[in-house]
Amino acid sequence: MRRAGLDLGSVNAKLVVLEGLEMIYRQALPSRFDSVKAGKLLLEDYLQAEGGKPEELVVTGYGRVSFPEGRVVTEITCQARGCHHYYPEAVYILDVGGQDAKVICKNAEGKVVRFVMNDKCAAGTGRFLDVILKGMDLSPQEVVQAQEAEPLTINSMCTVFAESEVISLLAKGNPKEEVVAGLFKSTAKRLARFVETLGQPQQLILSGGGAHYAQLARYLKEELKVEILIPPQPELTAALGAALLA
Amino acid sequence: MDNRELWTILNMDLEKHDDFLAPLPGVYTELFLNRPGRPAGMDYFDQVVGDVHGARIHELYNLKLGGGKVFATFCVYVPDEIVLATGSASIGLCAGAQYTVPSGEKVLPRNTCPLVKSSMGFKLDRICPYFQVSDWVIGETTCDGKKKAWEILSEHIPTYVMELPQRKGERDNRFWEDEVREFARLVERETGVSLTAENLKSGVKKVNERRQALKRLAELRRHRPAPIHGLDVLLINQLAFFDDPERFAEKVNVLCDELEERVCQGIGVVSAEAPRILITGTPQPLPAWKIHALVEQAGGIVVGEETCTGERYYKDLTEEAATVEEMLQNIARRPMHVNCACFTPNHGRVEDITRMAKDLQADAVLEFNLQFCQTYGVESYFIGREMEERGIPYLHLETDFSEEDQGQLLTRIEALLEMIRS
Repeated sequence: MRRAGLDLGSVNAKLVVLEGLEMIYRQALPSRFDSVKAGKLLLEDYLQAEGGKPEELVVTGYGRVSFPEGRVVTEITCQARGCHHYYPEAVYILDVGGQDAKVICKNAEGKVVRFVMNDKCAAGTGRFLDVILKGMDLSPQEVVQAQEAEPLTINSMCTVFAESEVISLLAKGNPKEEVVAGLFKSTAKRLARFVETLGQPQQLILSGGGAHYAQLARYLKEELKVEILIPPQPELTAALGAALLA
Repeated sequence: MDNRELWTILNMDLEKHDDFLAPLPGVYTELFLNRPGRPAGMDYFDQVVGDVHGARIHELYNLKLGGGKVFATFCVYVPDEIVLATGSASIGLCAGAQYTVPSGEKVLPRNTCPLVKSSMGFKLDRICPYFQVSDWVIGETTCDGKKKAWEILSEHIPTYVMELPQRKGERDNRFWEDEVREFARLVERETGVSLTAENLKSGVKKVNERRQALKRLAELRRHRPAPIHGLDVLLINQLAFFDDPERFAEKVNVLCDELEERVCQGIGVVSAEAPRILITGTPQPLPAWKIHALVEQAGGIVVGEETCTGERYYKDLTEEAATVEEMLQNIARRPMHVNCACFTPNHGRVEDITRMAKDLQADAVLEFNLQFCQTYGVESYFIGREMEERGIPYLHLETDFSEEDQGQLLTRIEALLEMIRS
């Protein structure tokens, strides 16, 4: 039986299809302010490629409520289930998604025990990093250099204020890579305190698109003094969890 | 006299008032009237809301024409008994709407509790007839935001502030008793009516009967399946602050008779499996319905409120006594059993929550924290820890009266329900 999980996120829509426990299909599309449409396109593509619909479908993510098909499960439950698939022993998950960040504690069965999510604002989310990094217009070389750079201090966590702080740091002639390193470090600091509102982990699963920022993981490790576990395709864990729950 | 004539006499901003009330029928129909299985006894309360700025305002206005006064309050610590004893009226005020927050922010810092900003805005905008018909606002010192806001409000309406102590020792009790006696003198002076054993006894009786009716309603929610939606009970709790206490108690009791019948027959508004949620935290003044509405939209049922628009308002009765002196003492003692986060320490609240969770067969505790409310915000540390130790699923939500975060809130609430169901 084929089970599908569709994660309609604020930035990307993701589809994962399982045959048993094997991931036989995965695909992502930018949501472009219409995650429902992106989700429908993903399912159509799958239908064309595989010649049939999946038997079971669970829809999760921010667009889940408006999607016409499938059973609805929140991204919190799905994220826990998806991460549990890779790391059944680990308890804490930090998910850095497009428009929110969340910390989840799961139990030995992969079920959510407790969770917290960021408030209304974008601080500490993938979107926060994206907005500022895009504004800095970095070359691939600068990105590599930033990994070695000494981080500058960035105090603002509001996306708008942080952007102006970055602009003024650059205007003062600070090297771009030091500013970038500082950005990751300050974000990691904030996220570390966010994790600690739920407790002191020994291992931390880092998931969501934000897990692709190697520097974020590095500074999180430094801040929390924990082992950071990054699942394969960390942006797909919620979709995988949805498929596992289907 | 029709409503508009009266509102004009009360110096209301009619245009703005129309604009404020315009969405109410639609919202109310969707949230309340369209839901299946509502008890017939809700009809009365629907009618009250249907003319929420009309019929009761006429009553209060006529009371004033007859020489009575209207005292407006914001807190369950203010003793209604004394006001009612003199034949005057004691009412709550609107304080739970986003609409008036921007006006409140003209004079208050943005990072002030939305309840304080909303209530201030209602006065500055002149769109709350309850405010306009009131002779006095009776404030208290339950938080810094309110304490300082009274100073500004007093430029617009006579405002009297009762100083609530921050601990519950013997000395504090004596202090509060003095505050209550001084308030009694204010009421006597303003109404021209002296307190007697007879009229005070009747004041105590009226308020106690309202509390008893609300307690009876609260206890009916223990049953599984729940015989009434939490949102309907929240509305009743909110209206308790506005309505005539005797008529209100009578109507609540009529509703309770019907609910008892439902319980006997095992009829509920949801299935017996629906996750049962206990709400705790900051007040949900009229018309703040968001949290209850979202929980019940997600398939849960709210079975209790450990809040000032819930249990704290009615859980303790004022003991009866023979003399004015003793009654004033009892009136002062009653609120000292109410566990508000303005007290330090406030261990009683955690006990109240765990007791209610058990009695109401709650599956989870949802803490509702108005933005910028420090005292409740800090206390959530203890509540969260206690719930964890007891293995009760717990969710802390911080929000205001705006509609914009409903999606985010719903995700969190649905996740909580999934934790219970899994």
